Amino acid sequence: MALQDMERDMAGCSRCSSCKWIPHNQVKSWRFAQGCPSSTRYSFHAYSGSGKMIMGLSMLQSRSELNDDVAGIIYNCQLCGSCQVSCQVYRDDIDLSDVLLELRAKCVEDGFLILEHMEMLQSMKKEDNPLGMLKADRGRWAEGLGLPEIGGRQVEVLFHAGCRYSYDEDLRGTVRGTVSLLRDAGIDIGVAGKDEACCGGRAYELGYQGEMRNFADDMAGRVKASGARTLVTACSDCYYTFMYLYPKNGLDLGVEVLHITELVGRMIEEGRIEPAGEVPMRVTYHDPCHLGRRGESYKEGWSGGDKLLRPVRFKQSGRLGVFDPPRDIIRALPGIELVEMERIREYSWCCGAGGGVLEAFPEFASWTAGDRLEEAAATGAEALVTACPWCVRVFRDAVTERGMEMKIYDVMELLASSLGGA
Amino acid sequence: MITDAAYRELQETLGAENVSREPAVLDGYTWQPFTDILGLPDSWCRYRPAAVVLPGSTEEVQEVVRICGRHGLQFKAMSTGWGAWNAMGGENTVQIDLKRMNRILEIDEKNMYAVVEPCAVCSQLQAEAMKKGLNCHIIGAGCGSSPLASATSLCGYGWSGLTTSYSARNVLGVEWVLPDGEVLRIGTPGQDAGWFNGDGPGPSLRGAMRGFMGACGGLGVFTRCAVKLFPWPGPEEPQVEGLLNDVTAEVPDTHAMFLIAFPDLQRWADAAYSVADAEIGYMMCKNAIGALVATMMPRGLKELTRFAVFKDILKTLRYQFQFLVCARTPREFAYQKAVLREIVEECEGICLDVSKLPGLHDAFWWGFVRAAMPPLIFRMGGTFGTSYGALEGFDHPAYQSQEGARLKSQYTETGRLMDDLADNSWGGIYEGSTGFGHQEELYVYDPRDSAQLEAAEDYLAGTLVDTAAKKLGPGLGFAGGAIVAEIFGPLIGDYHEWLRKIKGAFDPDNVSDPAFYVSPDPEKLIAEEMANRPGMAQSLLSVMGEEDTP
Repeated sequence: MALQDMERDMAGCSRCSSCKWIPHNQVKSWRFAQGCPSSTRYSFHAYSGSGKMIMGLSMLQSRSELNDDVAGIIYNCQLCGSCQVSCQVYRDDIDLSDVLLELRAKCVEDGFLILEHMEMLQSMKKEDNPLGMLKADRGRWAEGLGLPEIGGRQVEVLFHAGCRYSYDEDLRGTVRGTVSLLRDAGIDIGVAGKDEACCGGRAYELGYQGEMRNFADDMAGRVKASGARTLVTACSDCYYTFMYLYPKNGLDLGVEVLHITELVGRMIEEGRIEPAGEVPMRVTYHDPCHLGRRGESYKEGWSGGDKLLRPVRFKQSGRLGVFDPPRDIIRALPGIELVEMERIREYSWCCGAGGGVLEAFPEFASWTAGDRLEEAAATGAEALVTACPWCVRVFRDAVTERGMEMKIYDVMELLASSLGGA
Repeated sequence: MITDAAYRELQETLGAENVSREPAVLDGYTWQPFTDILGLPDSWCRYRPAAVVLPGSTEEVQEVVRICGRHGLQFKAMSTGWGAWNAMGGENTVQIDLKRMNRILEIDEKNMYAVVEPCAVCSQLQAEAMKKGLNCHIIGAGCGSSPLASATSLCGYGWSGLTTSYSARNVLGVEWVLPDGEVLRIGTPGQDAGWFNGDGPGPSLRGAMRGFMGACGGLGVFTRCAVKLFPWPGPEEPQVEGLLNDVTAEVPDTHAMFLIAFPDLQRWADAAYSVADAEIGYMMCKNAIGALVATMMPRGLKELTRFAVFKDILKTLRYQFQFLVCARTPREFAYQKAVLREIVEECEGICLDVSKLPGLHDAFWWGFVRAAMPPLIFRMGGTFGTSYGALEGFDHPAYQSQEGARLKSQYTETGRLMDDLADNSWGGIYEGSTGFGHQEELYVYDPRDSAQLEAAEDYLAGTLVDTAAKKLGPGLGFAGGAIVAEIFGPLIGDYHEWLRKIKGAFDPDNVSDPAFYVSPDPEKLIAEEMANRPGMAQSLLSVMGEEDTP
């Protein structure tokens, strides 16, 4: 697919600006009505989903040219998918998120590159992660746990930690606790250790679409070598890559893919995990974009041509993402109180970290996170809980920057706490 | 083109991050829906702004318009900026995007008004107003629109017009940056007496400010205004899940939605008058059956319209209203329902209690109260247009809807426009017992198909000619640019000359882009229109009997 393949989608934009807002039926206040961080922060229409589509069409029709300023607008976007959800409330014939991906591919193809993203790509190529860390250190997060590694014996479940959890020492405890509790609950779980590599999704999102293929092939090789029937990840970005980007690009891992919250939620329901310890806390839950609306599995492409005739079941509306399992886990914790923010589920506000924004435009990432933290604080919650290491990272940094009292947890940390593990 | 000197001044005033002349950014303001009114082959409007600016305050707006004046630039302000009337009327025009001015400054519960900036939208205002037991008027474009823009600069009706009237009736005090940069506060804010009144002391300027259609950016910039709020007999914080057609909600026991349909247009209009006399109901609006089906299941309608028998079945429900009762008490609820049933019976209609239809009632209730449904009309064809819609005693709108459908059937039956069963008029009665109302005729097309766009322009021109020939009165087709005033002015009390005098008094240097208001130079305007859109211009000029006169 290329930008020109999206021309009809772009030309269909009716400039209603729905993409800037959460779906209007869910607007509950003046303060938390906005949906698009980019448009909210920078205001020019070009920063909205609609504006980016119009820019794409303009360039495609040679009315304007791609340059560094335009590329800057294209990349000042977390690819959070809020615009797509709000657009598809009304439109059957526009796939806005795919347009945004193709705009980035065009930037790369035409040589309008972001330095920080190039560094991420170099790191991915050299060290199999975008964080500039050594590949040799990849498996250190699991040291001492005695988990079987692929190449050893076959396992039922392969656990993919993802780059952020593998290398962010502040967050490692979460995945260590998680795999331990799964193992203790009788799950035959293994890891890829130092052989684990990035899923490649971040390269695709940055516009280096072709680079994802190598990572995907490696991923498929590891899954096959593990003998696993289920692939579980704790990273929402990886989950999105497995559920959407791989199948969209014809890549099939051949196994069931679950986010950790789906597996654990299922086990709690089956009574295989029984949280007993009190977690006396008032918390709110932040839906990670790539687990929620962007985590919706790829719907086989509509082959009927005119998307005006496309049935709803082919639309990536975002409604079938992973929303309830993390909430079910929270609700299963004794003593905890879950209060919802105004913008939740598929119309959630982004944490700010996605799409390469955290690396290239950290001030914008922090601003976006700050907006969410204000929303969390407005609920009266003392902690914001989420289910993605990227969200946890950017929120913790933003809390520190602002001197806020809000605590930030991954939902698995709270579960471990209830089980006495942390 | 904007000179470097002018551009630099704008940057110094607003900060470089709030000014752009990047062509790709400017094209975000050049692309608009509804370009059939401009006779264009696609959604690119004719002129790209010379620059776009994002002022954050009234003072910054003042500076921007003064800079434009000093440098021989025109300016055009927009709020949410949805529609071809936001387009530039010529080269050398600066687009003032008011997105940063987005606050709700005050909600006065006691006096029932809100003071808003240009880019606060209706869904936000409604959400905040409801917390105080109030509601706002929302125009037909829906809750993503700006209450300030429709109240000060355009003409908009709404689903709840029965109780909240239409936009021009709801504007109170206004803060207005005149084309020379001076600030004029009309009504009570002009005397620092609050925002509760838009008139006086002394002669009211509300009429000069907006007239019937509004000046569409041709008379300066409106930076704040107060709009009326109305009692809301519903929950302060409605509990709603879902996004649109899937909505489930806690509908109060004293609220209910009805579909009422009548055997013919006469009895349909009679029912409207009776409802007005009885002063019942919260909302009474016709969404044509074709439009309803198209928005809920567009592919289904396409299938159904292939078969004459299905079309005929659907058409049996063409003379209908969606009717919402929102009462405060069970006793009032029972009374309103009883009166409604009596009126329907007298007019030989049928009354379908939608609250008995699980799955639809919640979505309809909240969809119409929040007015979030309008963009659904894009589902069928990609976009739509509208015409007719003069505000008159309700027999007249009924006749207009008949005319609109008659004309349109020639297009829908030949596939030139999307088949919406031809009858796709929308609107209702306003202000209860006054008994006036409107019906605008929607038409649906795909703007990506230049043939359909051309057909839309052709149909629109036809409706305007029809309007003139049958003296149907000014409606929404009158938002078609300054040329419309020149054509219809002589037929309607020379209103165009009055507009020109107002324009001359407030904007003698013509700094505020008049493309959708009135031209200071009508001969030049007509010549340009003949060159730019000969099809539409010829049709319109035929109204004057001057087909050959440029």
